[in-house]
Amino acid sequence: MGARSVKEPALRRWRVSREVALEIPLLPRIANGDSTAIDECLDRYGGLVWSLARRLSASPSDAEDAVQEIFIDVWRNADRFRADVAEEATFVAMLARRRLIDRVRKQQRRTLDSRPIDESTLEYAAPVQTPPMELAEDASQATACLEQLRIDERRVLELSIYHGLPQTSIAERTGLALGTVKTHARRGLSQLRDCMAAKGRRRERGGVTL
Amino acid sequence: MSSNSAANSDRWEELQATRLLFGLSADEQVENDDLARQMPADSATQFDTVVAAIDVAWADAQQPLPEQLRRAIRSRAEQEIASKKVASPQVSPVGLGSRGRSVNYAPWLVAAASVALALFTWLANRPVQRTEPTIAQLRSELMASADDLLRADWSAGTTPIEGATGDVVWSSSRQQGYMRFRGLTVNEPTREQYQLWIFDKNQSDKTPIDGGVFDVAASDEVIVPINAKLRVQEALMFAITIEKPGGVVVSSRERLPLLAKVE
Repeated sequence: MGARSVKEPALRRWRVSREVALEIPLLPRIANGDSTAIDECLDRYGGLVWSLARRLSASPSDAEDAVQEIFIDVWRNADRFRADVAEEATFVAMLARRRLIDRVRKQQRRTLDSRPIDESTLEYAAPVQTPPMELAEDASQATACLEQLRIDERRVLELSIYHGLPQTSIAERTGLALGTVKTHARRGLSQLRDCMAAKGRRRERGGVTL
Repeated sequence: MSSNSAANSDRWEELQATRLLFGLSADEQVENDDLARQMPADSATQFDTVVAAIDVAWADAQQPLPEQLRRAIRSRAEQEIASKKVASPQVSPVGLGSRGRSVNYAPWLVAAASVALALFTWLANRPVQRTEPTIAQLRSELMASADDLLRADWSAGTTPIEGATGDVVWSSSRQQGYMRFRGLTVNEPTREQYQLWIFDKNQSDKTPIDGGVFDVAASDEVIVPINAKLRVQEALMFAITIEKPGGVVVSSRERLPLLAKVE
Protein backbone atom coordinates (compact mmCIF):
# COMPACT_ATOMS: atom_id res chain seq x y z
CA MET A 1 0.00 0.00 0.00
CA GLY A 2 1.46 3.34 -0.96
CA ALA A 3 1.78 6.35 1.31
CA ARG A 4 -1.38 8.33 1.76
CA SER A 5 -1.42 12.05 1.20
CA VAL A 6 -3.58 13.55 3.90
CA LYS A 7 -5.49 16.44 2.44
CA GLU A 8 -6.34 19.28 4.74
CA PRO A 9 -10.19 19.01 4.58
CA ALA A 10 -10.07 15.30 5.32
CA LEU A 11 -7.64 15.89 8.14
CA ARG A 12 -9.84 18.60 9.57
CA ARG A 13 -12.90 16.35 9.36
CA TRP A 14 -10.98 13.60 11.09
CA ARG A 15 -9.91 15.94 13.86
CA VAL A 16 -13.44 17.19 14.31
CA SER A 17 -14.90 13.68 14.38
CA ARG A 18 -12.22 12.53 16.79
CA GLU A 19 -12.87 15.48 19.03
CA VAL A 20 -16.53 14.62 19.08
CA ALA A 21 -15.84 10.94 19.63
CA LEU A 22 -13.16 11.35 22.24
CA GLU A 23 -14.07 14.48 24.14
CA ILE A 24 -17.82 14.55 24.19
CA PRO A 25 -19.07 11.06 25.01
CA LEU A 26 -22.82 10.69 24.99
CA LEU A 27 -23.30 7.74 27.29
CA PRO A 28 -22.70 9.67 30.53
CA ARG A 29 -25.58 11.92 29.49
CA ILE A 30 -27.74 8.89 28.82
CA ALA A 31 -26.73 7.47 32.20
CA ASN A 32 -27.86 10.71 33.82
CA GLY A 33 -31.27 10.47 32.24
CA ASP A 34 -30.72 13.08 29.54
CA SER A 35 -33.15 12.01 26.83
CA THR A 36 -31.90 14.73 24.49
CA ALA A 37 -28.82 12.55 23.92
CA ILE A 38 -30.87 9.73 22.36
CA ASP A 39 -31.00 11.16 18.85
CA GLU A 40 -27.33 12.10 18.95
CA CYS A 41 -26.52 8.58 20.06
CA LEU A 42 -28.60 7.07 17.24
CA ASP A 43 -26.96 9.44 14.75
CA ARG A 44 -23.50 8.52 15.96
CA TYR A 45 -23.85 4.79 16.49
CA GLY A 46 -26.96 3.77 14.55
CA GLY A 47 -24.97 3.05 11.39
CA LEU A 48 -22.33 1.08 13.29
CA VAL A 49 -24.87 -1.11 15.07
CA TRP A 50 -27.01 -1.54 11.96
CA SER A 51 -23.96 -2.58 9.96
CA LEU A 52 -22.96 -5.20 12.55
CA ALA A 53 -26.51 -6.49 12.87
CA ARG A 54 -26.95 -6.91 9.11
CA ARG A 55 -23.71 -8.82 8.86
CA LEU A 56 -24.36 -11.14 11.76
CA SER A 57 -28.10 -11.76 11.51
CA ALA A 58 -30.05 -14.41 9.66
CA SER A 59 -32.71 -12.16 8.13
CA PRO A 60 -33.64 -8.47 7.85
CA SER A 61 -36.30 -8.76 10.54
CA ASP A 62 -33.83 -10.58 12.76
CA ALA A 63 -31.36 -7.73 12.28
CA GLU A 64 -34.02 -5.20 13.24
CA ASP A 65 -34.83 -7.09 16.42
CA ALA A 66 -31.15 -7.36 17.23
CA VAL A 67 -30.63 -3.62 16.82
CA GLN A 68 -33.50 -2.89 19.19
CA GLU A 69 -32.07 -5.25 21.78
CA ILE A 70 -28.57 -3.81 21.38
CA PHE A 71 -29.72 -0.28 21.99
CA ILE A 72 -31.64 -1.40 25.07
CA ASP A 73 -28.33 -2.85 26.27
CA VAL A 74 -26.65 0.46 25.45
CA TRP A 75 -29.16 2.49 27.47
CA ARG A 76 -29.00 0.06 30.39
CA ASN A 77 -25.21 -0.14 30.45
CA ALA A 78 -24.51 3.52 29.75
CA ASP A 79 -23.37 4.09 33.31
CA ARG A 80 -20.69 1.40 32.91
CA PHE A 81 -18.92 3.22 30.12
CA ARG A 82 -15.48 4.49 31.14
CA ALA A 83 -13.79 6.83 28.71
CA ASP A 84 -10.38 6.03 30.19
CA VAL A 85 -10.68 2.33 29.30
CA ALA A 86 -12.18 2.30 25.78
CA GLU A 87 -13.61 4.69 23.28
CA GLU A 88 -17.35 5.00 23.21
CA ALA A 89 -17.67 3.44 19.75
CA THR A 90 -15.63 0.45 20.93
CA PHE A 91 -17.86 0.10 23.98
CA VAL A 92 -21.01 0.17 21.84
CA ALA A 93 -19.51 -2.36 19.43
CA MET A 94 -18.68 -4.68 22.34
CA LEU A 95 -22.26 -4.59 23.56
CA ALA A 96 -23.49 -5.15 20.02
CA ARG A 97 -21.28 -8.16 19.38
CA ARG A 98 -22.20 -9.79 22.68
CA ARG A 99 -25.87 -9.51 21.90
CA LEU A 100 -25.44 -10.65 18.30
CA ILE A 101 -23.35 -13.70 19.19
CA ASP A 102 -25.86 -14.60 21.88
CA ARG A 103 -28.66 -14.43 19.31
CA VAL A 104 -26.66 -16.49 16.80
CA ARG A 105 -26.16 -19.18 19.43
CA LYS A 106 -29.86 -19.29 20.21
CA GLN A 107 -30.73 -19.46 16.53
CA GLN A 108 -28.21 -22.18 15.87
CA ARG A 109 -29.86 -24.23 18.55
CA ARG A 110 -33.14 -23.68 16.77
CA THR A 111 -32.22 -23.89 13.11
CA LEU A 112 -28.68 -25.25 13.03
CA ASP A 113 -28.06 -22.96 10.14
CA SER A 114 -27.77 -19.23 10.17
CA ARG A 115 -26.88 -17.21 7.16
CA PRO A 116 -25.94 -13.54 7.07
CA ILE A 117 -28.14 -11.34 4.95
CA ASP A 118 -25.79 -8.74 3.64
CA GLU A 119 -25.15 -9.58 0.00
CA SER A 120 -21.53 -8.57 0.15
CA THR A 121 -21.14 -10.82 3.14
CA LEU A 122 -22.64 -13.74 1.26
CA GLU A 123 -20.00 -13.33 -1.39
CA TYR A 124 -17.28 -13.24 1.27
CA ALA A 125 -15.96 -9.95 0.04
CA ALA A 126 -13.19 -8.23 1.94
CA PRO A 127 -14.25 -5.94 4.77
CA VAL A 128 -14.92 -2.28 4.17
CA GLN A 129 -11.63 -0.43 4.33
CA THR A 130 -12.24 2.91 5.96
CA PRO A 131 -9.25 5.22 5.60
CA PRO A 132 -7.35 5.29 8.89
CA MET A 133 -7.70 9.05 9.08
CA GLU A 134 -11.46 8.66 9.43
CA LEU A 135 -11.26 6.09 12.19
CA ALA A 136 -11.13 6.63 15.91
CA GLU A 137 -7.93 5.65 17.69
CA ASP A 138 -8.87 2.08 18.70
CA ALA A 139 -10.08 1.14 15.24
CA SER A 140 -7.16 2.81 13.52
CA GLN A 141 -4.70 0.84 15.63
CA ALA A 142 -6.62 -2.36 15.00
CA THR A 143 -6.45 -1.97 11.22
CA ALA A 144 -2.74 -1.17 11.36
CA CYS A 145 -2.11 -4.26 13.49
CA LEU A 146 -4.22 -6.46 11.21
CA GLU A 147 -1.79 -5.71 8.42
CA GLN A 148 0.95 -7.37 10.46
CA LEU A 149 -0.84 -10.70 10.85
CA ARG A 150 -0.06 -13.73 8.73
CA ILE A 151 -2.43 -14.07 5.80
CA ASP A 152 -4.04 -17.23 7.19
CA GLU A 153 -4.67 -15.63 10.56
CA ARG A 154 -6.09 -12.50 9.04
CA ARG A 155 -8.34 -14.54 6.75
CA VAL A 156 -9.73 -16.55 9.65
CA LEU A 157 -10.48 -13.34 11.53
CA GLU A 158 -12.10 -11.78 8.46
CA LEU A 159 -14.34 -14.77 7.92
CA SER A 160 -15.35 -14.95 11.57
CA ILE A 161 -15.54 -11.30 12.60
CA TYR A 162 -16.72 -9.72 9.38
CA HIS A 163 -18.68 -12.54 7.75
CA GLY A 164 -19.87 -14.20 10.94
CA LEU A 165 -19.05 -17.69 9.66
CA PRO A 166 -18.95 -20.62 12.10
CA GLN A 167 -15.72 -22.53 12.60
CA THR A 168 -16.73 -25.47 10.42
CA SER A 169 -17.55 -23.20 7.47
CA ILE A 170 -14.23 -21.42 7.83
CA ALA A 171 -12.45 -24.77 7.84
CA GLU A 172 -14.32 -25.84 4.70
CA ARG A 173 -13.69 -22.58 2.94
CA THR A 174 -10.01 -22.24 3.79
CA GLY A 175 -9.08 -25.91 3.74
CA LEU A 176 -7.65 -25.57 7.23
CA ALA A 177 -8.26 -28.18 9.92
CA LEU A 178 -10.83 -27.18 12.52
CA GLY A 179 -8.16 -27.08 15.23
CA THR A 180 -6.02 -24.82 13.07
CA VAL A 181 -8.92 -22.43 12.60
CA LYS A 182 -9.26 -22.16 16.37
CA THR A 183 -5.53 -21.69 16.80
CA HIS A 184 -5.39 -19.00 14.11
CA ALA A 185 -8.29 -17.17 15.72
CA ARG A 186 -6.64 -17.24 19.13
CA ARG A 187 -3.18 -16.33 17.89
CA GLY A 188 -4.51 -13.61 15.65
CA LEU A 189 -6.43 -11.95 18.46
CA SER A 190 -3.54 -12.39 20.85
CA GLN A 191 -1.15 -10.70 18.43
CA LEU A 192 -3.61 -7.91 17.78
CA ARG A 193 -3.98 -7.30 21.50
CA ASP A 194 -0.22 -7.14 21.99
CA CYS A 195 0.28 -5.01 18.89
CA MET A 196 -2.38 -2.53 19.94
CA ALA A 197 -0.85 -2.30 23.39
CA ALA A 198 2.59 -1.79 21.90
CA LYS A 199 1.33 1.00 19.68
CA GLY A 200 1.17 3.15 22.70
CA ARG A 201 -2.39 2.91 23.78
CA ARG A 202 -2.98 5.55 26.34
CA ARG A 203 -4.96 3.12 28.41
CA GLU A 204 -3.57 0.51 30.68
CA ARG A 205 -3.80 -3.14 29.77
CA GLY A 206 -7.18 -4.70 30.18
CA GLY A 207 -10.54 -4.46 28.62
CA VAL A 208 -13.76 -2.88 29.55
CA THR A 209 -15.60 -4.47 32.40
CA LEU A 210 -19.20 -5.09 31.49
CA MET B 1 5.04 -20.14 34.75
CA SER B 2 4.47 -23.89 34.90
CA SER B 3 3.58 -25.84 31.78
CA ASN B 4 0.18 -26.49 33.30
CA SER B 5 -0.60 -22.83 33.82
CA ALA B 6 0.74 -22.02 30.34
CA ALA B 7 -1.61 -24.62 28.88
CA ASN B 8 -4.45 -23.17 30.92
CA SER B 9 -3.59 -19.72 29.68
CA ASP B 10 -3.62 -20.84 26.04
CA ARG B 11 -6.89 -22.67 26.52
CA TRP B 12 -8.35 -19.65 28.29
CA GLU B 13 -7.45 -17.43 25.36
CA GLU B 14 -8.89 -19.96 22.93
CA LEU B 15 -12.15 -19.98 24.88
CA GLN B 16 -12.28 -16.18 24.87
CA ALA B 17 -11.72 -16.12 21.12
CA THR B 18 -14.41 -18.75 20.63
CA ARG B 19 -16.85 -16.90 22.88
CA LEU B 20 -16.44 -13.71 20.91
CA LEU B 21 -16.33 -15.09 17.39
CA PHE B 22 -18.51 -18.18 17.43
CA GLY B 23 -20.22 -18.49 20.80
CA LEU B 24 -19.41 -21.16 23.38
CA SER B 25 -21.05 -24.57 23.47
CA ALA B 26 -22.55 -25.72 26.77
CA ASP B 27 -19.43 -27.76 27.58
CA GLU B 28 -17.14 -24.90 26.67
CA GLN B 29 -19.18 -22.57 28.85
CA VAL B 30 -18.63 -24.84 31.86
CA GLU B 31 -14.91 -24.99 31.11
CA ASN B 32 -14.81 -21.24 30.66
CA ASP B 33 -16.48 -20.65 34.01
CA ASP B 34 -14.00 -22.99 35.72
CA LEU B 35 -10.97 -21.31 34.20
CA ALA B 36 -12.37 -17.85 34.90
CA ARG B 37 -11.81 -18.46 38.59
CA GLN B 38 -8.10 -19.00 37.98
CA MET B 39 -7.41 -16.23 35.49
CA PRO B 40 -6.87 -12.51 36.12
CA ALA B 41 -10.19 -10.68 36.02
CA ASP B 42 -9.17 -8.27 33.28
CA SER B 43 -8.05 -11.07 30.97
CA ALA B 44 -11.67 -12.00 30.28
CA THR B 45 -12.34 -8.88 28.27
CA GLN B 46 -9.05 -8.13 26.54
CA PHE B 47 -10.13 -9.77 23.29
CA ASP B 48 -13.51 -8.02 23.51
CA THR B 49 -11.81 -4.68 23.08
CA VAL B 50 -9.73 -5.95 20.17
CA VAL B 51 -12.69 -7.44 18.31
CA ALA B 52 -14.84 -4.39 19.01
CA ALA B 53 -12.12 -2.13 17.58
CA ILE B 54 -12.06 -4.28 14.43
CA ASP B 55 -15.85 -4.20 14.28
CA VAL B 56 -15.71 -0.41 14.33
CA ALA B 57 -13.01 -0.38 11.66
CA TRP B 58 -14.88 -2.74 9.35
CA ALA B 59 -18.34 -1.32 9.90
CA ASP B 60 -20.09 0.08 6.87
CA ALA B 61 -21.73 2.79 8.92
CA GLN B 62 -22.88 4.86 5.95
CA GLN B 63 -26.28 3.22 5.81
CA PRO B 64 -28.45 4.83 8.48
CA LEU B 65 -31.03 3.01 10.56
CA PRO B 66 -34.36 2.54 8.77
CA GLU B 67 -36.72 5.25 9.94
CA GLN B 68 -39.36 2.98 11.46
CA LEU B 69 -36.66 1.11 13.36
CA ARG B 70 -35.21 4.34 14.64
CA ARG B 71 -38.65 5.41 15.86
CA ALA B 72 -39.13 2.13 17.70
CA ILE B 73 -35.69 2.39 19.35
CA ARG B 74 -36.32 5.98 20.31
CA SER B 75 -39.66 5.20 21.87
CA ARG B 76 -38.17 2.43 23.98
CA ALA B 77 -35.16 4.58 24.90
CA GLU B 78 -37.33 7.27 26.42
CA GLN B 79 -38.95 4.69 28.70
CA GLU B 80 -35.58 3.30 29.73
CA ILE B 81 -34.06 6.69 30.38
CA ALA B 82 -37.12 7.96 32.23
CA SER B 83 -36.79 5.00 34.60
CA LYS B 84 -33.19 6.04 35.30
CA LYS B 85 -34.35 9.49 36.34
CA VAL B 86 -36.76 8.04 38.87
CA ALA B 87 -34.16 5.66 40.23
CA SER B 88 -31.58 8.23 41.35
CA PRO B 89 -33.00 11.05 43.47
CA GLN B 90 -30.49 13.72 44.45
CA VAL B 91 -29.81 14.39 48.13
CA SER B 92 -28.94 17.95 48.99
CA PRO B 93 -25.90 18.43 51.19
CA VAL B 94 -26.37 19.80 54.66
CA GLY B 95 -25.50 23.49 54.92
CA LEU B 96 -22.24 23.96 56.82
CA GLY B 97 -22.82 27.57 57.69
CA SER B 98 -25.29 26.78 60.46
CA ARG B 99 -22.93 24.58 62.43
CA GLY B 100 -22.58 25.67 66.08
CA ARG B 101 -25.44 28.11 66.07
CA SER B 102 -27.98 27.81 68.83
CA VAL B 103 -31.27 27.60 66.99
CA ASN B 104 -34.54 26.11 68.23
CA TYR B 105 -35.50 23.60 65.53
CA ALA B 106 -38.28 21.89 67.46
CA PRO B 107 -41.25 23.69 65.83
CA TRP B 108 -39.76 23.05 62.41
CA LEU B 109 -39.21 19.37 63.19
CA VAL B 110 -42.81 18.99 64.36
CA ALA B 111 -44.08 20.69 61.23
CA ALA B 112 -41.83 18.54 59.02
CA ALA B 113 -43.00 15.38 60.79
CA SER B 114 -46.62 16.39 60.22
CA VAL B 115 -46.00 16.96 56.53
CA ALA B 116 -44.17 13.64 56.28
CA LEU B 117 -47.06 11.83 57.99
CA ALA B 118 -49.59 13.43 55.67
CA LEU B 119 -47.45 12.57 52.65
CA PHE B 120 -47.04 8.98 53.81
CA THR B 121 -50.80 8.63 54.33
CA TRP B 122 -51.48 9.99 50.85
CA LEU B 123 -48.86 7.76 49.26
CA ALA B 124 -50.18 4.70 51.05
CA ASN B 125 -53.73 5.30 49.90
CA ARG B 126 -53.30 6.72 46.42
CA PRO B 127 -54.14 4.59 43.40
CA VAL B 128 -51.04 2.72 42.29
CA GLN B 129 -49.88 3.76 38.86
CA ARG B 130 -48.03 0.82 37.39
CA THR B 131 -46.34 1.12 34.04
CA GLU B 132 -47.43 -1.85 31.97
CA PRO B 133 -44.92 -3.11 29.43
CA THR B 134 -45.81 -2.41 25.82
CA ILE B 135 -46.54 -5.22 23.40
CA ALA B 136 -43.21 -4.50 21.72
CA GLN B 137 -41.46 -4.94 25.07
CA LEU B 138 -43.29 -8.18 25.77
CA ARG B 139 -42.30 -9.46 22.34
CA SER B 140 -38.67 -8.51 22.89
CA GLU B 141 -38.65 -10.17 26.29
CA LEU B 142 -40.14 -13.36 24.86
CA MET B 143 -37.55 -13.42 22.12
CA ALA B 144 -34.71 -12.84 24.53
CA SER B 145 -35.76 -15.50 27.00
CA ALA B 146 -37.63 -18.32 25.21
CA ASP B 147 -35.31 -21.18 24.29
CA ASP B 148 -37.85 -22.83 21.99
CA LEU B 149 -38.75 -19.70 20.06
CA LEU B 150 -40.01 -20.25 16.53
CA ARG B 151 -39.84 -17.49 14.05
CA ALA B 152 -41.11 -17.14 10.51
CA ASP B 153 -41.40 -14.28 8.03
CA TRP B 154 -44.74 -13.54 6.44
CA SER B 155 -44.93 -14.30 2.74
CA ALA B 156 -47.67 -13.75 0.21
CA GLY B 157 -50.73 -15.99 0.56
CA THR B 158 -53.27 -16.87 -2.11
CA THR B 159 -54.74 -13.34 -2.10
CA PRO B 160 -51.72 -11.20 -1.25
CA ILE B 161 -51.77 -7.61 -0.06
CA GLU B 162 -49.14 -5.60 -1.90
CA GLY B 163 -46.31 -4.49 0.37
CA ALA B 164 -47.42 -6.40 3.45
CA THR B 165 -44.45 -7.83 5.36
CA GLY B 166 -43.50 -8.84 8.86
CA ASP B 167 -42.95 -11.92 10.93
CA VAL B 168 -44.36 -14.11 13.64
CA VAL B 169 -42.67 -15.44 16.76
CA TRP B 170 -44.05 -18.23 18.92
CA SER B 171 -42.98 -20.19 21.98
CA SER B 172 -44.85 -23.46 22.52
CA SER B 173 -43.51 -23.89 26.04
CA ARG B 174 -45.04 -20.56 27.00
CA GLN B 175 -47.98 -20.71 24.60
CA GLN B 176 -47.15 -17.14 23.75
CA GLY B 177 -46.37 -15.37 20.53
CA TYR B 178 -46.62 -12.16 18.56
CA MET B 179 -47.29 -11.19 14.98
CA ARG B 180 -45.62 -8.17 13.48
CA PHE B 181 -46.92 -6.48 10.35
CA ARG B 182 -45.95 -3.63 8.12
CA GLY B 183 -48.02 -2.43 5.24
CA LEU B 184 -51.05 -4.55 6.07
CA THR B 185 -54.24 -2.81 4.96
CA VAL B 186 -56.13 -1.02 7.72
CA ASN B 187 -59.44 -2.86 8.24
CA GLU B 188 -62.89 -1.56 9.13
CA PRO B 189 -63.78 -3.72 12.19
CA THR B 190 -67.52 -3.46 11.63
CA ARG B 191 -67.13 -4.92 8.13
CA GLU B 192 -64.29 -7.43 8.42
CA GLN B 193 -61.46 -8.54 10.65
CA TYR B 194 -58.19 -10.38 10.27
CA GLN B 195 -57.97 -13.85 11.78
CA LEU B 196 -54.90 -15.94 12.56
CA TRP B 197 -54.76 -19.70 12.01
CA ILE B 198 -52.03 -21.91 13.43
CA PHE B 199 -51.25 -25.16 11.64
CA ASP B 200 -50.06 -27.60 14.26
CA LYS B 201 -48.23 -30.88 13.80
CA ASN B 202 -50.90 -32.68 15.77
CA GLN B 203 -53.83 -31.03 14.06
CA SER B 204 -55.36 -31.74 10.66
CA ASP B 205 -54.61 -29.17 7.95
CA LYS B 206 -58.35 -28.78 7.55
CA THR B 207 -58.80 -27.68 11.13
CA PRO B 208 -55.99 -25.35 12.08
CA ILE B 209 -56.05 -23.75 15.51
CA ASP B 210 -57.86 -20.44 15.75
CA GLY B 211 -55.25 -17.82 16.73
CA GLY B 212 -57.75 -15.05 17.34
CA VAL B 213 -59.17 -12.12 15.41
CA PHE B 214 -57.52 -8.74 15.29
CA ASP B 215 -57.66 -5.35 13.68
CA VAL B 216 -55.00 -3.27 11.97
CA ALA B 217 -55.38 0.42 12.71
CA ALA B 218 -52.19 1.68 11.05
CA SER B 219 -50.25 0.67 7.99
CA ASP B 220 -46.87 1.18 9.64
CA GLU B 221 -45.58 -1.33 12.18
CA VAL B 222 -48.24 -3.16 14.16
CA ILE B 223 -47.57 -5.91 16.73
CA VAL B 224 -50.43 -8.21 17.67
CA PRO B 225 -50.33 -10.82 20.45
CA ILE B 226 -51.41 -14.33 19.47
CA ASN B 227 -54.49 -15.61 21.23
CA ALA B 228 -54.53 -19.34 20.46
CA LYS B 229 -57.82 -21.00 21.36
CA LEU B 230 -56.25 -24.45 21.75
CA ARG B 231 -52.89 -25.58 23.01
CA VAL B 232 -50.30 -25.47 20.22
CA GLN B 233 -47.97 -28.47 20.35
CA GLU B 234 -45.67 -27.78 17.42
CA ALA B 235 -46.53 -24.98 15.04
CA LEU B 236 -45.74 -25.65 11.39
CA MET B 237 -47.34 -22.69 9.68
CA PHE B 238 -49.29 -19.52 10.43
CA ALA B 239 -51.91 -18.07 8.10
CA ILE B 240 -53.91 -14.84 8.09
CA THR B 241 -57.38 -14.76 6.60
CA ILE B 242 -59.91 -11.95 6.30
CA GLU B 243 -63.24 -12.86 7.83
CA LYS B 244 -66.51 -11.33 8.96
CA PRO B 245 -66.47 -9.35 12.25
CA GLY B 246 -65.80 -11.71 15.16
CA GLY B 247 -64.14 -14.29 12.95
CA VAL B 248 -65.27 -17.76 11.97
CA VAL B 249 -64.89 -21.28 13.36
CA VAL B 250 -63.90 -22.75 10.01
CA SER B 251 -62.47 -20.49 7.36
CA SER B 252 -63.32 -20.80 3.69
CA ARG B 253 -59.81 -19.39 3.05
CA GLU B 254 -61.17 -17.28 0.21
CA ARG B 255 -59.13 -14.31 1.35
CA LEU B 256 -55.75 -15.41 2.62
CA PRO B 257 -53.23 -12.56 2.32
CA LEU B 258 -50.33 -13.86 4.41
CA LEU B 259 -48.60 -17.14 5.25
CA ALA B 260 -45.59 -17.85 7.44
CA LYS B 261 -44.02 -21.28 7.21
CA VAL B 262 -41.79 -22.44 10.02
CA GLU B 263 -38.57 -23.66 8.41
